[in-house]
Amino acid sequence: MPRFLITLPARGDGRHPLRRNRGDWQPGAHAVLPPVVSDVRRGAFGPFDHLAQVGRAAEIATFGGALAPFDAGGEESLVVAAGLLRQTRWLRVVAEFHPVIATPVYAAKISASLQRFSGDRLDWQVAVDLDRSVARSQGDFVTGANRYVRADEFLTVAKGVWHEEGYSFDGRFYHVLSGGFQPPLSGRPFPRIHLSGTSPEALALSARHADVHVFRPEDDLEAGIAALTRGRATAGLRVPVLARDDDEEAWEAARTLWIRSGGEPEAVPERGPLWTGFGSAGLVGSYETVAQAIRGYLARGVTTFFLEARPHIEETYRLGERLLPLLVKEDEHAR
Amino acid sequence: MPVDIYWRIGTHGDQQSLRRRTVSRGAWAPVLPGSLTPGIRDGHADGYSYVDHMADVARASEISGFVGGLLPSFPNTDDPWAAAATLARETSTYRFMIAFQPGFLHPVQAARMSASLQRATGGRVVYNIISGGGGPDQLWWGDKVDHDDRYARTSEFLDVLKGVWNGGPYDFEGRFYRVEGAGLPEPLARQPFPEIYFSGSSKAAIQAAGRHADHYLSWLEPYEPLAEKFAQVREHSETIGRAPKFAVRVEVLARDTEEEAWEEIRRGWDGIDPSVLRGATGDSIGWQRSRSFVTGAVNGYRDLEVQPNVWGGFHLLRGGPAFGLVGSYQQVAERLDELISLGVDAFILAGVPHLEEAYRVGEEVLPLLRGRDLRVQSPLLEGISS
Repeated sequence: MPRFLITLPARGDGRHPLRRNRGDWQPGAHAVLPPVVSDVRRGAFGPFDHLAQVGRAAEIATFGGALAPFDAGGEESLVVAAGLLRQTRWLRVVAEFHPVIATPVYAAKISASLQRFSGDRLDWQVAVDLDRSVARSQGDFVTGANRYVRADEFLTVAKGVWHEEGYSFDGRFYHVLSGGFQPPLSGRPFPRIHLSGTSPEALALSARHADVHVFRPEDDLEAGIAALTRGRATAGLRVPVLARDDDEEAWEAARTLWIRSGGEPEAVPERGPLWTGFGSAGLVGSYETVAQAIRGYLARGVTTFFLEARPHIEETYRLGERLLPLLVKEDEHAR
Repeated sequence: MPVDIYWRIGTHGDQQSLRRRTVSRGAWAPVLPGSLTPGIRDGHADGYSYVDHMADVARASEISGFVGGLLPSFPNTDDPWAAAATLARETSTYRFMIAFQPGFLHPVQAARMSASLQRATGGRVVYNIISGGGGPDQLWWGDKVDHDDRYARTSEFLDVLKGVWNGGPYDFEGRFYRVEGAGLPEPLARQPFPEIYFSGSSKAAIQAAGRHADHYLSWLEPYEPLAEKFAQVREHSETIGRAPKFAVRVEVLARDTEEEAWEEIRRGWDGIDPSVLRGATGDSIGWQRSRSFVTGAVNGYRDLEVQPNVWGGFHLLRGGPAFGLVGSYQQVAERLDELISLGVDAFILAGVPHLEEAYRVGEEVLPLLRGRDLRVQSPLLEGISS
């Protein structure tokens, strides 16, 4: 059964791609009502009301989950995840973070409480290969393959204290003596681990630890999936999507998106199976065209899809009502 | 200045009364009929979790007049960051005082979480910074840094946290932390910095508190040592040009009459297994101090009443610190007023069960408080400088 998740905004959102009036990310971007219109909103809403609305949209539109991305310039993902878990019943929330945020014991401890509070709906995406300057701004000076050694220890210790009372570990990066959670913190399912990257170290780490290895459309999927067979990780894909009633309307929307994002009208990226105008490669077309592309990925072994679409609320409803039913049906036929 | 009064939320479940040490709220004991969050319906757990009860305590606290609550953190408790982020949007005025140890989170991550929480709550995050109870617990957490170094690390942690708070680029290279080009992004950087409540009774703690604390937080102690401790903090702070405020964590057992209150203690006392007396461990100076205030043989519960209404046996009836106030509503209010006269600017009160007692103390005790100036002649304060 394929799983579909949305990707949450880390820096607000807006109807116009360059405007971030939703979520208080652009001072002054809020439309002010003229004096002739009564405005009762003063002070009643804060920046997290928008995130809450996006989360509810995903829940109501029958998505399986939502990814709260790590973004050094954006909202903190564990705080976002905790809020969304509290106000949804079904949604799984994948919080993305890097190993330097906390000791593995403390990352596991926060997560154990969130599992208790949410009925076990928290998942992790661990970002290992951050851009060098971003890493340093977060206090991380470990480089190269050592980052994977540390991530391996981080996940080993986090799982160790989670599953084993009296757990000890003495590694290069972390030390624990007689650790391990007790009831009622212990005994919950560990968050599903999502990892990414195409280097041999990244794929080896996934083979050891991942539940889902998340690819980008640009990645060499066949080679990557082949490398995962040593472990139990399944394949995921994080992909921007722009879907409309027909192909022509979708491509027109893509062109508008490009120009409104500041691109030159003469330089709109070419139409094709993967459109690069999102900033990374993504899918454009009618609902059926996009569904067909996703069926192609399903056939290649991808089972988890992180769809990215803006503005988040409107597009989440759209995808839930028009795209997901095509794929559920396909799945039923396949069985 | 008005006094800020907080009401603790238990992060380790709660018991229905001090008479029974059974933790019936939050699954820290086997879930049976009579357990709550989760409860049992038709033989099955009802799907509620302890955070649903914590939400009730938070709402009871804000409705009853408390400014917020302390969320403690120990190995076998729920985590206060997780709880605050979970409950952020279902409270209105409640300030989340998050207890945390600096070593466990990176300061940049602490800044990011705090700023996002400020945005989620409208600026209702408060810090209770603890540098560790020490002993075997620190290694349970995976922390090998020893006692005095933990305070040095706390200082560095707060330097980095404050350094990135107002944006960047910020560089730092210290013994414990290093960042380059750090700084919160703009909408997060515009948030108010959380007030800092700082705990610790050792010399190293008092020095670190002098630099960083808005409030120096102590457990309740007999007035004389408490006033001495405040004087030391004040003295050290003055040498570096700072003036911290003082806060005290006080357990409260208040009833209509003094007799009723002590009767409640007696019923709890009768259920204590004598072998559990004096069980605490660790290298915390605070624990060692607590034990030192009780001299002489303890043959009954009133032997732990070290001065009128100040009772040192609460740790025997529920998890947590030893000292609290026992008495009528009026007596408890008077003792709190005396503490205000000693220089206390903020309280973290607590009582078991936290939900029901939040209403009781909010409705019966807080309205009786009169504040600093009216009671300075109290005989209990004679000879103690405030």
